[in-house]
Amino acid sequence: MSEGFWAVLGYGVLNVLLALAAAPLCEGIVRKITARIQSRKGPPLRQPYYDLLKLLGKEDIEAGESPRMQRMAAYLSLGATLTLAALVPMGGNAPLDGWADAILLVYLLTLCGVSTLLAGLAAGSPYSLIGASRSMMTMLTLEPILAVAVIIGAIEARSLRLDAILGASLFSGPGWPLAGLVMLGVMLLALQAFVERVPFDVGEAETEIMEGALVEYSGPKLALFKYARMVRLFVYCALVVTLFSPLGRGWVFPLALLAFLAQTLVLVLLVTLIGATHARYRIDQAIRYFAVLLAVSVGALALAAVGF
Amino acid sequence: MPARNVLNQLKQRFDGAILRVDVPNDGRLFLYIRPETVREVCRYVFRDLDARYVISIGMDDRPFSGQFLVAHDFAFESEHVLASVMVHVPAEDPRIDSISPDVPAANWAEREMRDLVGIEAVGCPSQKRLVLPDGWPDGVHPLRKDVPWDFRPENYDEDRVYGFDDPPEGCTVVPFGPFHPTLDEPSHFRLFVEGEIVRGCEYRGFMVHRGIEKLGEAVLTYNEIPMMAERICGICGCVHSVTYAQAVEQAAAIRPTARAEFIRTIMLEIERLHSHLLWVGLANHILGFDTLFMQSFRMREPIMWLAERITGNRKTYGLCVIGGVRWDITPEIKADILRVLADLEKEWIPATKAVSGDRNLRKRTQGVGVASKSLVKEAGLIGPMARASGVGIDVRKDHPYAAYDRVEFDVITQDGCDVWSRVLVRVLEVFESIKIIRQCLERMPAGEIQLKLDGELPAGRVGVSSVEAPRGESHHFVVTGDDNRPRRWRVRAPTYQNLQGIPAMIKDQQLADMTISLGSIDPCFSCTDRLEVVDIRSGNVKVFSPAEIKTLGRRQGRG
Repeated sequence: MSEGFWAVLGYGVLNVLLALAAAPLCEGIVRKITARIQSRKGPPLRQPYYDLLKLLGKEDIEAGESPRMQRMAAYLSLGATLTLAALVPMGGNAPLDGWADAILLVYLLTLCGVSTLLAGLAAGSPYSLIGASRSMMTMLTLEPILAVAVIIGAIEARSLRLDAILGASLFSGPGWPLAGLVMLGVMLLALQAFVERVPFDVGEAETEIMEGALVEYSGPKLALFKYARMVRLFVYCALVVTLFSPLGRGWVFPLALLAFLAQTLVLVLLVTLIGATHARYRIDQAIRYFAVLLAVSVGALALAAVGF
Repeated sequence: MPARNVLNQLKQRFDGAILRVDVPNDGRLFLYIRPETVREVCRYVFRDLDARYVISIGMDDRPFSGQFLVAHDFAFESEHVLASVMVHVPAEDPRIDSISPDVPAANWAEREMRDLVGIEAVGCPSQKRLVLPDGWPDGVHPLRKDVPWDFRPENYDEDRVYGFDDPPEGCTVVPFGPFHPTLDEPSHFRLFVEGEIVRGCEYRGFMVHRGIEKLGEAVLTYNEIPMMAERICGICGCVHSVTYAQAVEQAAAIRPTARAEFIRTIMLEIERLHSHLLWVGLANHILGFDTLFMQSFRMREPIMWLAERITGNRKTYGLCVIGGVRWDITPEIKADILRVLADLEKEWIPATKAVSGDRNLRKRTQGVGVASKSLVKEAGLIGPMARASGVGIDVRKDHPYAAYDRVEFDVITQDGCDVWSRVLVRVLEVFESIKIIRQCLERMPAGEIQLKLDGELPAGRVGVSSVEAPRGESHHFVVTGDDNRPRRWRVRAPTYQNLQGIPAMIKDQQLADMTISLGSIDPCFSCTDRLEVVDIRSGNVKVFSPAEIKTLGRRQGRG
């Protein structure tokens, strides 16, 4: 028992460390590639690390309507994201082996959205409130899509156990994994919204509502939010890889990790490309888009339920 | 004789009202009428003759005629005539009937006239201040001749607050500006928002009014003003300098040399190229499409380089003097221009395809910021705004100036009335500009670039001039004077009219569409507002005075 506990803790901590270390690098890659697409030179890959360090080193100013809630929201954002990172297997076995079920995953993802909502309410400016309400609307339509993906995994694995769902992947069932493939398509189309990038960065929309919920944030608290956002990019890409890709599963240690990182990187590049070639949607247009995805994913769920 | 035709129509109807007529050439008409008929005449000109309202000018003419002077400028597009309906207003009772009830587009100009010259437009629907700051004492009008140019009012009241309208029932106030990432200059809109829908707005601007007209009338000389004029705007500076020079030239009945006219045309089109490329980039940035923003700025850079090659500066060209220009185009420069244009054209064709084929972009801009044809007429909208609403007005064609009567080009129009159409109009106009510059280079005659002018320009003559700036018509009104400077110089930048269309364009739209709707007129504010804090729950508004802001700033600096 105690040995199992330490293993779980060890895996979890390693995951968190990996996410913390790799996330700014992913952000750096996003910036660099975007710059190249735009005929710019772009900042060095390590720039996001500097940015975070710089923000963390600044004076911690209390601002907004309720400064305490604002602080909490920043902690909650990074905390929830890192807990999520601890649960997603990164090229190894699923941590929390047999200790948690997949519902936890959905809760944690919701918590990330809630932190943005709290931040918006705490700032209390018209722009932050608009940002918070947009994030809320986005979350309400996106959440079910992710839930459906997890439930399809649960059906295929015949278990709600986290390690079973993430470890077994959607393709473990016999025959052609039709539902899994449909869901993969849906997740790829929704990924941009999960990681809050153009064209679905409606909640921040710098040129419309001046970063929305984050409008009153500065210094270390802003750093936490930015860091959480970078980690979310990494973790969501990782989550899609672990849920849908059989590649690298069961390989020996360094190869499995490398395969996982490579696939995650491909998704990060996909996010970058879409971000650089699109204009931002309006919130009503975005919601309509999500609604279509949701309908398709429910269809996939039905397919999975009857055994496809 | 188009100007005569317009005049005859007016004479038939208002023979008794017309006091004096001045027709300096085919394209200009100055009509002095009895003060009590001004509203009726303007209504007839605007409604029945379907002229476009341009601007109203108030002038303190007391030192010369003992009276104030008001001019309402109209443009007859199909007749190619710019007409001024002019009225003398008695010095002891400077009041005149407002034309705003019939010509809504005159609202701002009449308010400005009251603020700056102290001529009251009786019956103007809005009595609020437009240009003067809140604390400025009543009864002091900076553009009157007895107010010195460096006048500072002693009884300036810092605590006086501008009376904003109350928001409608159920709406919250979202302050847009004075500082906002998409405003390159300070300007303030109070948006009344219900959920995500904008129900109305109130505008307050003009706070960085720099008193350029007063300087021109009191300090500078005829040939110094073009330098000042091009500093009116950071984008279309050359436009203002040419418009001013042309207005003075028309007033003094001189014509610049043919070569100078071609060089002016080339520089104006180079300016249009850089402005259109800049705007296409900014519009995409507002919509979150930064790749096109960056690419468009990259393509714009050689144009800036070209301007520097010709004039020595990227932006302030120092081009115009009365009767000519200061920079010639040498054969080497000509080769450079042709090369840069060829490169731009090669890159702009795929860019045009990319923009016009982008469904995502179209989704965000179609049906957004709609300016109907009737709004174009009522608010006096001009330039790409009008052309994107199917109104094919273009000063270059309607009131040709410089060398535009000697080149062929098309007026691009679209019928969508929305932001999407404005994007298409400006994207396609790039090709027309390239066409014009090439023709100019080909047809430019050799010769002097400046007239030799001897002696003083005659005083008391009136000149008006319009130039098609990238964002619409820029219009200058000049009355020549003594001491080698004009008596009155009135500048009307295109944004002055286009901005008045904004409240109608953003009403009942999504808040997300506010920035691109405003961006689509390519606003150019010479104005700012105060810092304002709105408490949404109580609706209380706290306005910091400049002194308070200074103390706050200093406290922060020490902490």
